[in-house]
Amino acid sequence: MGLGKSCAAAVAALVLGVGSPADQAFAYSATGDRLFPATLVLPQIAPGDEFYVNAMTLPSAGGTAGAASRASNFTATYTKTITDRLGIVLDETWTRIDRVGAGSSNGWQNTDTAVKYLAIVDQPHEFLFTVGLDREFGGTGALRAGASASSATTPAVFFGKGLGDLDIGYWRPLAVTGSVGYQIADTRPRPDLVTPGFVVEYSIPYLQSKVQSLDLPDYVRGLTPMTEVSFTTPAGRSFGMRTTALIAPGLSYAGAGWELAIEGLVPASRATGRGGGVIAQFHLSLDFVAPETVGRPLFSAP
Amino acid sequence: MSNCEKPLTLRATLLVAALLLLFAPGVALAAPAGTVVGLSGASIVESGGARAAAKLGQPVQVGDTVEVPADGKLKLRMVDGSVVSVAAGTRLTIAAYGVDGAGQRQDARLSLAQGLLRAVVAPVERPASFEVDTAVGAAAVRSTDWFVEGSATAMQVGVLTGSVEMISAATRRRETIPARWGARLEAGRDPVPPRVWSPAEFAAVIARTDVK
Repeated sequence: MGLGKSCAAAVAALVLGVGSPADQAFAYSATGDRLFPATLVLPQIAPGDEFYVNAMTLPSAGGTAGAASRASNFTATYTKTITDRLGIVLDETWTRIDRVGAGSSNGWQNTDTAVKYLAIVDQPHEFLFTVGLDREFGGTGALRAGASASSATTPAVFFGKGLGDLDIGYWRPLAVTGSVGYQIADTRPRPDLVTPGFVVEYSIPYLQSKVQSLDLPDYVRGLTPMTEVSFTTPAGRSFGMRTTALIAPGLSYAGAGWELAIEGLVPASRATGRGGGVIAQFHLSLDFVAPETVGRPLFSAP
Repeated sequence: MSNCEKPLTLRATLLVAALLLLFAPGVALAAPAGTVVGLSGASIVESGGARAAAKLGQPVQVGDTVEVPADGKLKLRMVDGSVVSVAAGTRLTIAAYGVDGAGQRQDARLSLAQGLLRAVVAPVERPASFEVDTAVGAAAVRSTDWFVEGSATAMQVGVLTGSVEMISAATRRRETIPARWGARLEAGRDPVPPRVWSPAEFAAVIARTDVK
């Protein structure tokens, strides 16, 4: 595989979250009365006991024969708490890459794991802060599907801040979450990457329970409109990698112990893709449906 | 008038009086509900309008109100085996507490005007409610170990085992709260969606309701 084709696959994989902190997504997290729904593109900001699956597809830039024209991912993620503040993530992604005039290729991405520690929980100010370390094991996935032969390690920080502690009336359901990671490749030519991102969300459940209960239909009461913005940019030598930027506006609906969400994928740079894509996710809160067995931290009191 | 008319009238009068006594609200409320089995500080039991200092071993009746001062705690063992631990600064009324002949709870309703309690609710073989009402809503369970704290403007529930359903008095919206989770409810609004409570949060309410 030539470097150009390899880069195209790598870009598609990165945009779709493979091999970056974006596929570490934990399920929702909370501080005080503020619940942050699970995001689809960016990682969640705290450990949890969750299982979720998502599917996404995004047209690529295409171009010459053999270049990627579309990438699609199917990801399953399991997250487990070790203690109330420490958790691990395991996920596997299957990728299909359609190529211009060359059919398609598919296969598994590299196995990816992460550990996260919830360092700060400030309930009155609806703020939390987490540190994490992601490890992608190079060579465990299929090169034809864009998996890298090189491993990579990504230290990252995550935060969430609700605005409910401010005297701003109907703006109180607003919240911002985000993360910044620095992906360090084990070997070249895989570049190091900076992976920042943020989410702006407006929680209707928060509006109903903390601001004012409006006479809204049932399906609206569980909705959280949100927009995710994610970037990846090379740090140091790029090896042909360019900066990607993705905007993902969508909706998350929360039921009792589950969430269903869908977002559009809008590339904000040519390197990110061409044309709109879509991502959908269903996740189960194991700590809700099985709070005294698989949903419980391995070590916890009481 | 025959000889037996007078006794019959007396008998009938006594029967009516007995029935009235049986079904009159004030008397029906006087059914035994539990016993004080733990006590610290100068708690008060208000029964039939009379206020008296609570004592260990003292029975409490349906309709009684328990007041626990800021420096006190109190524990009740109810007639169905459930245990209710009442934290400092709490005012609690036993609104209903019915059991069948086998001592199985039929329905129980406590009214929490202010404060915090822990309820370790005895399991029963058939559906039977155990409900705590507050100014802003209610929490209902069948069998569980849980906490409820109430005030005039809000309530919160934390669940150690089992699950609890919290209902908003204003909107009738409800949330189910599983073990290790908790949720809040503010006056006039939907319940806040539940979340996992931290060990520190549980430790705090356990300490406040821990009656030696």
